[in-house]
Amino acid sequence: MLDPLQTSLRIAASGLQAQSTRLRVVSENIANAQSTGPSAGADPFARKTVSFESEVDRASGANLVEVRAIGVDESPFRLERDVGNPAADADGMVKMPNVDVLVELADMREANRSYEANLQVAKQSADMLSQTIALMKDA
Amino acid sequence: MSIYLFQVASQKSEWLSARQTAVASNVANVNTPGYRALDVQPFSAVLNTSPLAMASTNIGHLTPAISPLDSLRTIEADPSEETLSGNSVNLEQQMINLGDTSRDFSMTSNIRRAFHQLILSSLK
Repeated sequence: MLDPLQTSLRIAASGLQAQSTRLRVVSENIANAQSTGPSAGADPFARKTVSFESEVDRASGANLVEVRAIGVDESPFRLERDVGNPAADADGMVKMPNVDVLVELADMREANRSYEANLQVAKQSADMLSQTIALMKDA
Repeated sequence: MSIYLFQVASQKSEWLSARQTAVASNVANVNTPGYRALDVQPFSAVLNTSPLAMASTNIGHLTPAISPLDSLRTIEADPSEETLSGNSVNLEQQMINLGDTSRDFSMTSNIRRAFHQLILSSLK
């Protein structure tokens, strides 16, 4: 059995990784919020979604977290009238990505908050480990 | 007497480490759908259960490694709130638990250090 403090460091690391993947996907969505299709009438960028799942680590029995899948949002694309756009179809309508920047920003803040919480756990665990080591220093 | 204190201090640190692991998995899974928050059973429950070791009367007997903290198992925490996705982790509560754990751990290790110095000074 692994040391519980080292296990908690590993768990916090898995949380950090999952949340940073989520931030990466959010930034992809925001960056492509205006990315239309390559040709006339083609589908634009589709919003990506992240889902997490809890995974039991066999060595320590701890509940790690990992990204289960990066999916695609199936909601319909916005239609905008823009005749001069290269991606406009015969009627002058352009399919815009189904990205709502407000939703992405909210998601970003939540990922940020969870990341900070995991970082705090990692800091505390490392701190507790060094306290134990410090017991031997002045012996 | 002081030997006993060291044993209790060691049990307390082990219990706090296990609690830290529970908090860490709760915080890591704060956005996982369907995850239920965990906690360890209270320290008094760990102290009150004294595990019985099996006597080995023959060289061929296996001695199972019984840690005094085998009774230390995780229980499902009392869910104070639940999100729409079935997650029962309350991040604020977890941060409070984290602070508690850290403070108790410092206290335990400082008490241990104090008693160690006490013993050392009686030897000198």
